[in-house]
Amino acid sequence: MSERSVVYLKDRQSGQLVEATLLDGLDRAEVEGAEGQWIPFLQEQLQKLKARGISKEKWPEHSHWDWRQKYEATEGLLAYRMFGIECQSRMQGMMLVTTAGKTCRIVSQRNKPLVYVHFLAAAPWNLPSIVSEPRFALVGSVMIAAAIHLSLAEEFSGRIGLHSLPQADDWYSRGCGMTDLGPDPAVQNLRYFEMTPEQAAEFLK
Amino acid sequence: MKMNLSKEWLTKRAARDDRAEVSAGFFNLGMLGGKVGAREETSSRLSQEQESSRLAFGRLINLWRRKKGLRMDELADKAKIDLVELIEIERNLDFIPEPRTVFQLAQVLGLSNERLLQLSGNTNVRDLSLGQEAVRFAARSESVEKLNKNEQRALEEFVKFLAER
Repeated sequence: MSERSVVYLKDRQSGQLVEATLLDGLDRAEVEGAEGQWIPFLQEQLQKLKARGISKEKWPEHSHWDWRQKYEATEGLLAYRMFGIECQSRMQGMMLVTTAGKTCRIVSQRNKPLVYVHFLAAAPWNLPSIVSEPRFALVGSVMIAAAIHLSLAEEFSGRIGLHSLPQADDWYSRGCGMTDLGPDPAVQNLRYFEMTPEQAAEFLK
Repeated sequence: MKMNLSKEWLTKRAARDDRAEVSAGFFNLGMLGGKVGAREETSSRLSQEQESSRLAFGRLINLWRRKKGLRMDELADKAKIDLVELIEIERNLDFIPEPRTVFQLAQVLGLSNERLLQLSGNTNVRDLSLGQEAVRFAARSESVEKLNKNEQRALEEFVKFLAER
């Protein structure tokens, strides 16, 4: 059973904050339920992109993540945690992190442990690359805050790391104040970002 | 883990998040199968031989692991590779693993690194017989929970071939 915390997302239609739930430790039913909501919506939108002749290279890069597979591969493994944000009975974002085996690359934090964000995605109806009017904002900030809180709970002082998808590079850099360590050839040249304890404290301020 | 974020903080963050394209993690193709044409586009992009050799690579790792009675995380630990990358190798036809990962797996499996690099898509398949054997193996192996005798035999013969030279 997931542990639950009350959070808020911004409903972009009304401009108001609406109550949501952060789920720490998704179970199989929750992940499958989310896929059951995301995939049909995504398929419909991608068919529209295809019908408009938009090449696959321009499709959102994460349009083809299989969250159920990731859940199955990490189920029961203590070092992996899956988070979700639920609002208005739909999953608005999911994140898979690990608390073991990853250490900092930033020189000042070299080899210190961090929480590594393996995957993070907002629901397709929340993404500007998929819909002209995304539904909810703040999914990303809440998830990054959750990763930092987990890092603090693990006594990693708020250190986190992740490989960004290209469309999100600017948000991690300027929106979150993370350090950009550049393209990582070991991970398909995705840019690797880290947050120091100071940056984490600044983010949460 | 409980978390408490104030409305003031969220309101301040909302301005920065407004049209943010939030996402992280290395991606893969074709996970939606044929539902949005990803599979047919994969097929048109890869030749049949490339597809068979990638399939053979993933199946080889999967069957070898299951034959040894190892979970994915156990093989990842043993080979000192990333678990998520191992998932991609076993399940995603489009995924090309890093050369270092292939090398680590070659060490653990006791097989030719050069041949596994070809199978995995890191280098072109130069050995005609490798391409043919990969097609044959991919056709003969099936994904089931337990190795049946056919799979076992297919695996043993393919491993024997790869170990030659």
